[in-house]
Amino acid sequence: MIRTENLTKVYRMGEVEVQALRDVNLEIQDGEFIAIIGPSGSGKSTLLNMIGCLDKPTSGAVLIDDINTGKLSENELAEIRREKIGFIFQQFNLIHTLNALENVALPIFFAGVRREKRLKRAEEQLVKVGLEDRIYHKPSEMSGGEQQRVAIARALSNDPEIVIGDEPTGNVDTEAGNAIMDILEGLNREGRTIIVVTHDADIAARAGRTKRMRDGKVLD
Amino acid sequence: MIDKFLMAYRSIRERRARSILTVLGIVVGIAAIVSLMSVGYGMEEAITGELTAMADLISVMPGKITGATYVELGGFTDRDVKDLQRIGGIKDISAMTYDAVEVEYRNKRAPIFVFGGDTKELEGFYVEPVGLKEGRWLRENDYKGCVIGDRVANDFFDEVIQVNDKLIINGEKFIVVGVFEKASTLYAADVDPHIFLTLRASKEVLQTDEVKYIMVRVYDIDEAEEIAEEIMEVINDNHGLDDFATAMTMGSMIELMGDIFNIIRGVLVGIAAIALIVASIGIMNTMLMSVMERTHEIGVMKAIGAKSRDVLSLFLLESSMVSLVGGVLGCGLGVIVAKGLSFVASMASGLEIEAIVKPEVILGGIAVAMIVGVLSGFYPARKASKMSPVEAVRYG
Ligand SMILES: Nc1ncnc2c1ncn2[C@@H]1O[C@H](COP(=O)(O)OP(=O)(O)OP(=O)(O)O)[C@@H](O)[C@H]1O
Ligand SMILES: [Mg+2]
Repeated sequence: MIRTENLTKVYRMGEVEVQALRDVNLEIQDGEFIAIIGPSGSGKSTLLNMIGCLDKPTSGAVLIDDINTGKLSENELAEIRREKIGFIFQQFNLIHTLNALENVALPIFFAGVRREKRLKRAEEQLVKVGLEDRIYHKPSEMSGGEQQRVAIARALSNDPEIVIGDEPTGNVDTEAGNAIMDILEGLNREGRTIIVVTHDADIAARAGRTKRMRDGKVLD
Repeated sequence: MIDKFLMAYRSIRERRARSILTVLGIVVGIAAIVSLMSVGYGMEEAITGELTAMADLISVMPGKITGATYVELGGFTDRDVKDLQRIGGIKDISAMTYDAVEVEYRNKRAPIFVFGGDTKELEGFYVEPVGLKEGRWLRENDYKGCVIGDRVANDFFDEVIQVNDKLIINGEKFIVVGVFEKASTLYAADVDPHIFLTLRASKEVLQTDEVKYIMVRVYDIDEAEEIAEEIMEVINDNHGLDDFATAMTMGSMIELMGDIFNIIRGVLVGIAAIALIVASIGIMNTMLMSVMERTHEIGVMKAIGAKSRDVLSLFLLESSMVSLVGGVLGCGLGVIVAKGLSFVASMASGLEIEAIVKPEVILGGIAVAMIVGVLSGFYPARKASKMSPVEAVRYG
């Protein structure tokens, strides 16, 4: 279970303060599929970054399985990102010097798993997202939809309980977006918690629950 | 571990231009150090080598050397030479005399130093190392023959002097029987501007019985210092003066040169160090740029679970691979440049200088490259690895 308690994030840029999140209290149950919608600048990405342990709150807390992530060390946070959470970005963010297989194997590499085992696991993930014939392609040699599926395979490589997508369909066409949503639904059926931010009402409709944000607050 | 090397290699290759620039910076710095030091050692070896070949010699002069100047206090007598013959350990003694006199050639006159001595000894001292360009060396009964140095033949008079030409030395006619080659730096001052005669002819021409210079050859080099002391004592006794004679062994001259070489080497190393500092700044700059460029990539790696340590070790591996390649290539280039430089130096000095590449210089060069490369990679990599993942991912 994921829970935020009065989660607040303030960005300071010189004199100006931006309240990206204001006292957000949100509970996400294990195995839930939740979509977060809201206007640009409402704090959706900021919220996902906090939940995904990519950034630290100004005040308040994120609890994952009742562990207060604010109390963890840098290395422990890295371990949570590696083992518990799979993060999917709008811009795919693949390493362009590595091919699909190596990109997917990277989180397993950081987990210290041996090479053969790691490549086997990475290949399984690529098969799962339907990219068995793109294994040795570099990111620059793939379409946006394919790149995003590689990114999903990478997010899944350490078998995380939680999959977070910040507009995962934002940079691909409708067809590829639907394929991505099919994959996410499949992952949800496997029992994983799925959290996605989207601007697309059709995509939000496929989630089990939808939450709307405005001005750094989650509306009821 | 293999994977890390592979990843580092990939990203080096991917950023080919940047990597080449970094490697180039290291190569230039290391090549400068290696080549300058190797040439320095080569120069030292060339000169001490020539001096060591003459290590059994003691030069005896009637005067004092203070600092770099020699003050002549008179001349030796025949009695001095005879007394030296009684000292043990001496193989042979050669007495020489010299003075500046007026020399005339085809109605042109010039003051020139005329050198006279035992022809066999002079042959050993000068003809063997320098060589004759034309004609032959003096014989003991060549009372009217002379051999001239390169500058006497070519520079001192309007017309070039050749074998069989006639010179008037201090009013007496002589025939040129031989002309020396142009001498190397070490011998240039002794040979090029001089005219050589037999001892008997020179005594007549210079109108003196005085001996200005005695060369002593010893049997055992280890005894040279002792014998030199004894020579000075004997001659000083004869003249009733305390420091009338100076007897200098080649060994002490080599020591004197050693000090000079330390200074030269210091200057060379200084120049090389400046080259390395300039190169280091370049390396730091390219490392900094290449890490900044990849801040985004670092953010992604951290977002998918890399620890700061993982990121840091990847970057350090990368920069040490670049540095190692740079160091090795730099040493290679350094050796080539050293060979070129020593060739140029040989041509310019007339000495046979061969660059000496010491293994410790090569190892040191590679070590310095690694240290500079890794240190300059460390700071930006550490900074980047400490960034929060979001911050780094946003970048670029
Ligand atoms: N690093 C930052 N520094 C300063 N301000 C920031 C930073 N990140 C976000 N903000 C601000 O915080 C607010 C929330 O940003 P956030 O990216 O969470 O919005 P969003 O809902 O994801 O918008 P979008 O739909 O456009 O992606 C915005 O006003 C944004 O300008
Ligand atoms: Mg956003």
